Amino acid sequence: MTTEPVGLSVNLPSQRVMQARVGDADIAVWRGVSGKLSAWLNRCPHRGMRLSHGFVRGESLACLYHGWHYGSDGVCNYIPAHPDLEPPGTIQTTVFSIIDQDGVLWVSVDGAAGGQDLPGDSKPVRSITFSCSAKAAKDALIGSSVADGSGGELSIHDIAEGSNRLEFKSANGLNSVVVLLQQPSDQSMIAHILAAGDWSVDGMIGISRWSETVRRQAERTKNVPNSDCQDEL
Amino acid sequence: MSFRLYNYVLSGNCYKVRLFASLLGVSYESIAVDFHPGQEHKGEKLLQISPAETLPIMLADDMVLTETSAMLGWMASKFDAGKNWWPVNEPTKITLIIQWLGFASDLTLTIGEARLHSMLNRDVDVDRALAGGKRALRLLEARLTEQSLRGSQWLVGENPTIADIACFPYAALAPDAGLEHDDYPVIRNWLYAIRSLDGFVTMPGIHEVHKLRDTENTL
Repeated sequence: MTTEPVGLSVNLPSQRVMQARVGDADIAVWRGVSGKLSAWLNRCPHRGMRLSHGFVRGESLACLYHGWHYGSDGVCNYIPAHPDLEPPGTIQTTVFSIIDQDGVLWVSVDGAAGGQDLPGDSKPVRSITFSCSAKAAKDALIGSSVADGSGGELSIHDIAEGSNRLEFKSANGLNSVVVLLQQPSDQSMIAHILAAGDWSVDGMIGISRWSETVRRQAERTKNVPNSDCQDEL
Repeated sequence: MSFRLYNYVLSGNCYKVRLFASLLGVSYESIAVDFHPGQEHKGEKLLQISPAETLPIMLADDMVLTETSAMLGWMASKFDAGKNWWPVNEPTKITLIIQWLGFASDLTLTIGEARLHSMLNRDVDVDRALAGGKRALRLLEARLTEQSLRGSQWLVGENPTIADIACFPYAALAPDAGLEHDDYPVIRNWLYAIRSLDGFVTMPGIHEVHKLRDTENTL
């Protein structure tokens, strides 16, 4: 398992928590007041509640069920029902590695997360979920080109073997759209989309609409099981 | 008393009115109706007031209102002196607001229907309701994405309007129907923005933003 992109940084402000999936792991991703990121197994050690339903208190994440607090080291530091108790250090969540690189959140479930460099002026467009196999989604993306909003097109530029990254470039090479693919299940694919270069607001909206067009195409060809194309991604 | 509301605590449509009244700081008379299991809204006493067999019912200025869009529009016209929630002098904005008020009904007919099945075991076409609910959430996510690229976190213009209030409850209650928010990051940000408004009130299934109390250990 390599590092997977799980979201755009802009969509996880401080004091917020979200759910993500990397391989078979269900993960809670959250930011403390300071902006510090954490990625944990999405399971409270107390009663198994999904921690992604919890809420951030300072630099701790509190479980929604009984309010047990866990610090950014994953160790329980407060139990509301026993306010005077110092919780034993053995009560802890499973902590994964996460980094925010160029506006993208990357998580690894085995070892240190390593992100990918993006063009320096990359701006986030959106994360969009496709309800189809990874192959159908990737084929539809590769088979399309992005309109640049002023009559030109960005065509597919780079498809590294086995890569989860697609890059579209304008003819003059100045504008690019990067699509980072995350595969949360056999029948879904999330595309995290960023744009680099000179983009107007309407141009960015155009990229968002393009992603919906591609999704419609991908979902029409539908449901090629990922087991047929594991080496594709 | 500003108006009377025939009210059911678990109804997302009744909650639209409760929420907006609280945001506007307007007090009102609430009459609790036993929608489930009592089916009181189909009893003769309430049918005399409104034969529509629906909740909420609002009595306001000698009107009997059964459509939440009309209730929100009336409340904004009456109590929002700044004309922010229903900007009647801005034709494009009120047109788009009407568009999203109509969309709010789609949320009720899809997510609301699926929720009636999962919570009250009502006999509905669940697959159809869930498919429609997913389609509606995608439309909402797309709109809010485009608005965020324009620099706004609201459905229409740069400020919250009655369109946001109308769409909020059933979008927020989608997990009750089995449609999680995990695939909709911009909807999540929008839900959080509404929950952060001054005067926000909760309903079962829609929590407040957890704020630290002064007395609490911040750890």
